Amino acid sequence: MEPEQAASTETESGIDLLVIVLDTNPSQHIVRQNPQNLTQILEAVIAFGNAHLMQKAQNKLAVISCAHHATNFLYPQPRRQVELRQIDGQYEAFSLVEKTVKQQLGSILMNAPRLGSPCESLLAGSMAMALCYISRLQRNVAAGVKMHSRILVLTGSNECSSQYMTFMNVFFTAQKLGITIDTCALDKTLSLLQQGCDITTGQFLKVTQLDGLLQYLLWVFLPAPQMRHKLVLPPPPKVDYRASCFCHRELIDIGYVCSVCLSVFCKYSPICTTCHTIFKTPGPLPVKGKKKKKDKQM
Amino acid sequence: MAMADTKSGRYASAGSSNSVVPLVQGPANLECKDFQEYLRTRQTAETLEKLYNYPPICLAVFRELPELARQFIIRILFVDQPVPQAVVTSWGAQRFAKEQTEATSCLSDLNVWRVTAIPGGLSAWELSPTFKKSVRQVLLGGGKPWPMTNTLEKDSKPRDIAFLDSYAMSRWRCVLHYMVGTGNRNGTDAEAISPDAVRILLHANLMKRDERDGITITRQGFQFLLLDTRAQVWHFMLQYLDTCEERGVSLPECLSMLFQLSFSTLGRDYSSEGMNSQMLSFLQHLREFGLVFQRKRKEGRFYPTRLALNVTSKEAATTMTVSDEEAMQDSGYIVVETNYRVYAYTDSPLQVAVLGLFTELLYRFPNLVVGVLTRDSVRQALRGGITAEQIVSYLQQYAHPNMKLVESAIQSKSCLPPTVVDQIKLWEMERNRFTYTEGVVYNQFLSQNDFVTLRDYAQSIHVLVWQNERTRTMVVQKHGHDDVKRYWKKYSKGGG
Amino acid sequence: MVNVMKGVLVECDPAMKQFLLHLDEKLALGRKFIIQDLDESHLFISTDIVEVLQARVDDLMDRISFPLHDKDA
Repeated sequence: MEPEQAASTETESGIDLLVIVLDTNPSQHIVRQNPQNLTQILEAVIAFGNAHLMQKAQNKLAVISCAHHATNFLYPQPRRQVELRQIDGQYEAFSLVEKTVKQQLGSILMNAPRLGSPCESLLAGSMAMALCYISRLQRNVAAGVKMHSRILVLTGSNECSSQYMTFMNVFFTAQKLGITIDTCALDKTLSLLQQGCDITTGQFLKVTQLDGLLQYLLWVFLPAPQMRHKLVLPPPPKVDYRASCFCHRELIDIGYVCSVCLSVFCKYSPICTTCHTIFKTPGPLPVKGKKKKKDKQM
Repeated sequence: MAMADTKSGRYASAGSSNSVVPLVQGPANLECKDFQEYLRTRQTAETLEKLYNYPPICLAVFRELPELARQFIIRILFVDQPVPQAVVTSWGAQRFAKEQTEATSCLSDLNVWRVTAIPGGLSAWELSPTFKKSVRQVLLGGGKPWPMTNTLEKDSKPRDIAFLDSYAMSRWRCVLHYMVGTGNRNGTDAEAISPDAVRILLHANLMKRDERDGITITRQGFQFLLLDTRAQVWHFMLQYLDTCEERGVSLPECLSMLFQLSFSTLGRDYSSEGMNSQMLSFLQHLREFGLVFQRKRKEGRFYPTRLALNVTSKEAATTMTVSDEEAMQDSGYIVVETNYRVYAYTDSPLQVAVLGLFTELLYRFPNLVVGVLTRDSVRQALRGGITAEQIVSYLQQYAHPNMKLVESAIQSKSCLPPTVVDQIKLWEMERNRFTYTEGVVYNQFLSQNDFVTLRDYAQSIHVLVWQNERTRTMVVQKHGHDDVKRYWKKYSKGGG
Repeated sequence: MVNVMKGVLVECDPAMKQFLLHLDEKLALGRKFIIQDLDESHLFISTDIVEVLQARVDDLMDRISFPLHDKDA
């Protein structure tokens, strides 16, 4: 039990940073269905963030809003000093979170450009911003102090395969930095984010009933990744690892791969669009005796 | 440990595992309790219930719980009915059953939840309603605001954090100076501390009253000096709270106020309006020790200082950013070299006195003290009850910033030379080469059966210390001898 | 009949045990004090000798340790 005991005291004394990336795009299906849903989601997210801060005095929280036109920090807002006194029994740090998030989101939604037609959320970009924030905080941590970070993505958007490359870059960076990515999908199963959760050993959960959202968040996503193995959590689903082609952003099973830069294409083209390598045109397949090698020559 | 062929070995009897009754009774050592231990040992179920009426106390208790326990509480927090125990057990992974039992028993000991029966006969866990209500309030809102946060007019002369830090440290150092006797004895610098503070030091056994010498520091007092500032403040406050009841002050109110301060924001002023006279005098005591700053006694506002923040948790201390840490204590001034030399860039008599506890001081200059860590000096400290760990952590805590600049091939958390650290620990281990247990040896049993029966009996009443089946020898604790003898007489008469 | 003796169980590392056996043999503490040799790291000795024994062991440790540094350097 010795090494485990040592490990658990170490996790108890480290800082846990949670960055919540909240999809606030009004063109999400659940928001279009009923705008009140966004308020409900926001309340659940705030309560969840405060529950995280309640765990340990040294836990940290950040909330980022992801829209169709921009990414903004909802919390923390160090420049805007909110003079906060308790108006009820809520701990003042938690009230600060609640007030700041609501104020910021309100002003963002008011000033957002009008939507002509449904637009995609800039999820990959927001996650990249979260990674930058985490990395900055990591640099400022005192020597000998351990900081564990994770990102929770809360979204009701559909699959954004046009952001495939950015997503992959984000996932691999997170994996290298040891940052766990969790996803809570409110509408459809998002295979790209599922892949990200899988690589970074995070949790992917699809929640269809908004009423129970806070309960799901607290049960599945609140425990820190280091201690998740001590609890019984939903098993990881089977992940769809299909790549999407670089020319049409469609998920494909079989395709062509450039041997220089490993970009994936669904149709043969004489020049690789990413690294501009020139390929030999595939001639007739050589027949070598009985063994027919079916190469897909590049 | 145990020999492969013979079934022999030392048994950790229940009594001896935690506290081997030492043969040579050593003098008592400093015992620092953390908040959980304090609650478990000093409070009953009823008093805990009363404490849980105060949301700040509940928040403090929550943060002190083990990790798994915290997760369970959060899950049950929004459930209104009792939850069957079987359900809670199913939440934890099988491999960690031990940790789960520890978590559940911790929750029961602190009376956070209790067992109740639900229709159907199953036993279930039910959160204490007061605890549940308080935690929900803290997290989500509702209920009354905490007394200290009444709105105040803006302070005309606000104090910044740097001022609060230096104020806090200078006040706290007065207490330490008094303990070492370097303050008012010379009558030069530090002001004397109040009689109340002296009373607490005496109560805590950190100082004692001697007819000849007046009030002097005790062995535990020396150990106290080597703790880091946060641990010192917490231990001191616990002792203060102990004296609350005998002074007729309400303990829940004191605890609640202490924790309100603990969770406050640094640099912000709070209101003392509406506090009763007991709490106001508590506030004055806190002002004396440096936990709060108040310009004038009658002023309706005060500023909590860094000493008051997160007063219970050691971990919060270590995770502050670099600038916070430097402000918290004197920036480091001790350099330890690989030749066991210690250079301390200080002129404070307190710091020199503490250093003199475990090093041999060689030279003193106006701004520098040179000492050397010798076997004798460290052993002397060890005899005084100071542990090697305390010495090492003291040197680490006050290490000069230049020591941290040294590029080392080994990425270690400590900036002290590893040889010196290891040697200090070895000098401590040297003193512990033997463990003694007073006992009684039984041998020359006539039959194997006799031996096995008696041995198993001794083990069942937890007095067996050592046994060897092959040589039919066993050792029993001294106080268990009578029971075993009685059993043996009964057994041999019965025709075993 | 079972033999019963009162005393003190001493647990130590094998090297120290050999030292104790040596002291016992040479009657260094004035008399024999080992009641029984139990195993490689345990001895059973008489109660009253404990303090004297600890002093002798401390003495031995003092003698075998050398100063690690030169104070005057």
